[in-house]
Amino acid sequence: MTRLTLRRLAYSIPILIGVSIVCFLLMNVLPGNAAAGLISDQMTAEEKYAAEEGLGLHDPLPVRYWDWLTKVVQGDMGYSAQRHRDVSELLGQAWANTFILAIVSAVIGVAIGILLGYQAGIRRGRLADKLVSTFSLAGLSIPSFFLGVVLLSIFASKLRMFPAGGWPGLEEGLGSAIQSLVLPVATGSLVTVGITARVMRAAIVDVMAADFVETLRAKGLSEFEVRKHVMRNAISPVLTTSGVQLGYLLGGSVVVETIFRWPGMGTLTYNAISSRDLPVIQGTMLIIALAFVLINLVVDIVQAAIDPRVRGTLV
Amino acid sequence: MTEMMVRRLPADFGSSATPEARAEAERLTGDWLAVDDGAKPQSFWVETFKRFLENKVGVGAACFIVLLALAAIIAPWVAPHDPLVGVATDRLMSPFESSSHILGTDEQGRDLLSRLIYGGRLTLIAAFVPTIAATVIGTVIGVTAAMMGGLVQTVLMRSMDMLYAFPAVLLAIAVGASLGPGLANALIAVTIVSVPPVSRVAESATRRVVTKEFVDAAKLSGASPVKVATSQIVPNVLNDIIVYASGLVGVAMLIAASLSFLGLGSLPPAPEWGFMLNSMRNSISIAMFNVMLPGLMIFLTSVCFNLASDALREATDSRL
Repeated sequence: MTRLTLRRLAYSIPILIGVSIVCFLLMNVLPGNAAAGLISDQMTAEEKYAAEEGLGLHDPLPVRYWDWLTKVVQGDMGYSAQRHRDVSELLGQAWANTFILAIVSAVIGVAIGILLGYQAGIRRGRLADKLVSTFSLAGLSIPSFFLGVVLLSIFASKLRMFPAGGWPGLEEGLGSAIQSLVLPVATGSLVTVGITARVMRAAIVDVMAADFVETLRAKGLSEFEVRKHVMRNAISPVLTTSGVQLGYLLGGSVVVETIFRWPGMGTLTYNAISSRDLPVIQGTMLIIALAFVLINLVVDIVQAAIDPRVRGTLV
Repeated sequence: MTEMMVRRLPADFGSSATPEARAEAERLTGDWLAVDDGAKPQSFWVETFKRFLENKVGVGAACFIVLLALAAIIAPWVAPHDPLVGVATDRLMSPFESSSHILGTDEQGRDLLSRLIYGGRLTLIAAFVPTIAATVIGTVIGVTAAMMGGLVQTVLMRSMDMLYAFPAVLLAIAVGASLGPGLANALIAVTIVSVPPVSRVAESATRRVVTKEFVDAAKLSGASPVKVATSQIVPNVLNDIIVYASGLVGVAMLIAASLSFLGLGSLPPAPEWGFMLNSMRNSISIAMFNVMLPGLMIFLTSVCFNLASDALREATDSRL
């Protein structure tokens, strides 16, 4: 187990390097590059050249990548010319809000998804199964920005049950925090519910068809005991997807946070898109990709710990 | 060259064969096919299509998409108004309020029905173009990686893993943001996101096929690697890839809609559904139905793509 953990850990190092290369290339090689905001059209050719030289834009790409990477590792993610602040400072205030929203959405979405998928799986072909399948298809297909706008108009504008957006922070007391979490979490987690329920249902159906279930019943175990065994065997694929789900929720935060004016990295990114503030987008990408890699790492290790069958297939 | 050898070769790739030997091989194949033993040739896609037709939900979903495509193609003839020009006095009219605007108007007084019909063009382009492009690129990458093996495989598949390390929507947003807004850039962004999953499927399918005897036979008869790939490997892996890619159409559509909602898709005043929803969303308390229409269309289309792809997957599953 320790050896496996170490090997999986070693495997994420090239991935992390790759992530940093992708982040760097996206923002530096494509036409509108990160320096565009610092160089104005009014500058003369010499001034432009001097400004570009100062930013190190004339160095070869690998040198620029190395300079950038050493700065990032030290916590310097560049400077947002539009907001006149360091990117790390901006993200430092925002990342926690994004993670709170994503984790709450993931936990609630996965829990409901497991519950629904389990019920559908053991009642295969019956009404409950059809209802759950329809619901999860709807969850998969609904664009989160549409759901968010609809929920806002019904529950915030018409019924005034929940605030129309924003996030008071945890300092304002748990009550108001939960109130402002409800709508964004409902919006974000519906996709998670849909995917988890589908995976869970398929896993349950697979396991229920296995011979050992017959053996357990023949042994005289109660249906409750049998289902406990089924659950243990079916949970593994769900675990894999739930890690991925958290990553998707982090990535989808740009849309959800924009609708609910959530003060996180997604809103920062949305504002950065319209002003083409590339350092901010790059910072968000780096943090979320880093989190995504770590989540997948943890999921793989946890999965190997609880399911011996997975150990052989892991890198 | 004996008769037996000619018979056994799947196709004659060698340059050493004489014209007479080739003619003889063709004659033998012709003789063989001429014998009517009652067995009809079965095409995978014909069989799949027959089974697909039995699935009523799938057929319904496919019909919706076909209707949408038809409306998009003949939009100039069916749309009652110009989708880009509005009348300022007719802003946010409710549906059926006026006989000339059946579905009402948007915040600039443009006819919603016409905008939705024209928007179908952009949506279908955003759904199919990236998926098809990603299928082609992903197949090339996956087949190349699995056939070459070794360093090439490691480099290709590990670079796909790097793209996999980003949540899809975020990667699309980042690519879109650095390329700038516009339909073409959004299409590129969605394509980049869709290539890694396709290439993974292509790679694992190719690894299954590449060890088969007919591939060795083709190599031994002198086929170049490219010829082996195009004549032996791709026909055997393409079915898997197409079925998988059909599931990506709905995903591509949703990601593209999210991009345009964020202002990274087609530029206004183009009637892109995602952007229509965003530009009208402040009016939701006055004209809820109008605002919801483009969102409902995205939802319906995406449901139909998912249903049709599920039905296709079931139809190709020979175990059923």
